[in-house]
Amino acid sequence: MPGPSTPSVGGRVVAVTGACTFLGGELLRRLGEDPRYTRVLALDVRPPPQVGGKVEFVKLDLTQPTVDGELATLLRSAKVDTFVHGAFLSHPTHAAEWAHELEDVGTMHVLNACAGVEPRRFVMVSSTLVYGAHPKNPNFLTEDAELRGHRDSRFVNDKVRAERQVARFASEHPNVETCVLRFAPMLGPTVSNMYTRFFSRVVAPVMMGHDPLMQFVHEQDAAFALAQAVDSHATGPFNIVGKGVLPYTTVLALLGRVPVPMPQIVARQLTKVLWTTQIVGSPPSFLDFLLYLCVADGSRARSVLGFSPRLSIKRTILDFLGVAPEDGATDVARASL
Amino acid sequence: MSRERACKTMPDDEDPIIGDGEEDWFGEADPRVPDARGWTDAGQDIAFLTRDYEEPAGFEPSYVPSELGDSEAELRELERRLEQHRTPAFPIDLRKRLPLEGVWRRWRALAMWGRSDVVDDFGRDPRATARWEWLFEFLYSKWFRVEATGLEHIPSHGRALLVANHAGTLPYDSAMVMHAVRRDHPSRRDVRPLVEDTVFHLPWLGPIMNRIGGVRADPANAERLLEKDELVAVFPEGEKGMGKLWKDRYRLQRFGRGGFVKLALRTGSPIIPVAVVGAEEAAPMLGKVTWFAKNIGIPWIPVTPTFPWFGPAGLLPLPSKWQVQFGEPIDLAKIAGGRADAADDRLLVNQLADQIRTQIQTMIEGLLGKRRSPVLSAFLG
Repeated sequence: MPGPSTPSVGGRVVAVTGACTFLGGELLRRLGEDPRYTRVLALDVRPPPQVGGKVEFVKLDLTQPTVDGELATLLRSAKVDTFVHGAFLSHPTHAAEWAHELEDVGTMHVLNACAGVEPRRFVMVSSTLVYGAHPKNPNFLTEDAELRGHRDSRFVNDKVRAERQVARFASEHPNVETCVLRFAPMLGPTVSNMYTRFFSRVVAPVMMGHDPLMQFVHEQDAAFALAQAVDSHATGPFNIVGKGVLPYTTVLALLGRVPVPMPQIVARQLTKVLWTTQIVGSPPSFLDFLLYLCVADGSRARSVLGFSPRLSIKRTILDFLGVAPEDGATDVARASL
Repeated sequence: MSRERACKTMPDDEDPIIGDGEEDWFGEADPRVPDARGWTDAGQDIAFLTRDYEEPAGFEPSYVPSELGDSEAELRELERRLEQHRTPAFPIDLRKRLPLEGVWRRWRALAMWGRSDVVDDFGRDPRATARWEWLFEFLYSKWFRVEATGLEHIPSHGRALLVANHAGTLPYDSAMVMHAVRRDHPSRRDVRPLVEDTVFHLPWLGPIMNRIGGVRADPANAERLLEKDELVAVFPEGEKGMGKLWKDRYRLQRFGRGGFVKLALRTGSPIIPVAVVGAEEAAPMLGKVTWFAKNIGIPWIPVTPTFPWFGPAGLLPLPSKWQVQFGEPIDLAKIAGGRADAADDRLLVNQLADQIRTQIQTMIEGLLGKRRSPVLSAFLG
């Protein structure tokens, strides 16, 4: 197990894209408090609230066509030794063209810049959704499983394409320590993503007769794992997952949501209408994740990265809900948002 | 042990949703050893919210409660301030007039009925298992009157792979093998049967089988279970075994592609051959209709003396007399000569698979030979 890297003479300089995302912000805060890091560059289109002290904001729009040159100049002048690429969307958007420019093409720009500068370490934020929900999935997907993505989800497929680019980059640049973290869906009191929005509704669709196992990771465990990955020398992909699994209907029961069982055809048509009219935030392709397994195995992160989750799936769900496990007090304000 | 365990996981506490968290540990990391954050697992739920919290410099509390003042007025003031900060959402305003929170908590308790909030890695739910226990016990002792022999061949601990023949429209045989070990074996071990895809993804049935211990038949799943020293039951005939017609009863089909042999060699687990007699008569398949079956996601529609004539009730099994025989463990590694690459030797794998198939066939014929008449004693025993 690799220990924390020794600080170089001038200390470490980290650049973080997607500084305004949940994980980006948490990472900025953690790096800002860590004396081994002398400078943290927060790259985004708007300044994150963590800016100040060591954390500097640099405006950078990854959808611009010439951003790679700009970024390469910045990396070279700031002597960045660790690059964290976290500019990915946490929920699907109707602006699919823009999302493609940001995630797929944006990753290309980032890799173009990194190919020239060759920072010591490159960390990418990804998601276990890239494995896709598939009837043939084993109960625990390891990191070498095929990235199936989803037949018609641009939200997932853009991440798969970005991952493939990073994998190619890693093989072409062996002296850059490339590390990809695939996070299970994050739940917690402050994070906002597709799953938190989905579970914030009072009702939730259930595919009649299907009840796959689900897996989440607590936001604090996830943020800790990212900081750990920036700190370590580990390379390759890692599944960052929480402890334990629960069936989907049990998750709904713990959350106190009302399950609405419906046949697949009805659910797909209904979700298509609701998604097109922008009433719900999850596209029809998301329904496959309510049908089949997409659970990843976190043992590689435990043995190589030294990360093991501390919060079980039940605690994660109760924490998302705002229920203290000791007294069982409930917070309807949070529950019925 | 499993029944005791199943009972143990149903505490008599008032609020079944919120346990004390003791059972939350999945054996992944020792909860007492602090990780790099200095966290141990005990009571970590809100620790990060309160831990090391210091008020930032220049922080001025907006409200300082006086020590001797009017507590009623203070409360009113606090409430007023809270109201200002609250998001004006519809349900919250409603909540002030209706006891919605109580309703909501009732609903949560109701929704958690019959299920536990902790399942194992493969989705086995102890509470759901306990819920279906009576049905298995009834089928086992009253309906099929199962006679299990050779249970002493099953180890009390450590991994083993049970290899059995397969029959019947629905996998009653895997349920009975599972229940036999749980009921009559001295260490009451849980058997994890591997379920073929077509059954595992059947609506309603699939999730129920998953909750009571079934695992989708996938080499990765089986390997993981055996590495955890579990008892795994595999039915290598698979779909072909379930689709046997009445005229082919007790004639073993091809044993897949020998995947179970590779599995046993790779994990070093002994193979225990199991012969199940009686399942063929429980659901005698006279014919099968493939037309339209694919449209509803099943490989065929069975035609039995009762199905589809009596509707869904026709899927109930006939009360045949069952016998389950567990054979002596076979140590494949010894047969293969302790070679490390034995699992990659295709010829050897196929040969071993056929050897085990022959052995089970012999066991079945031995059990059938004890029957006095071919049809009557199949039901009367």
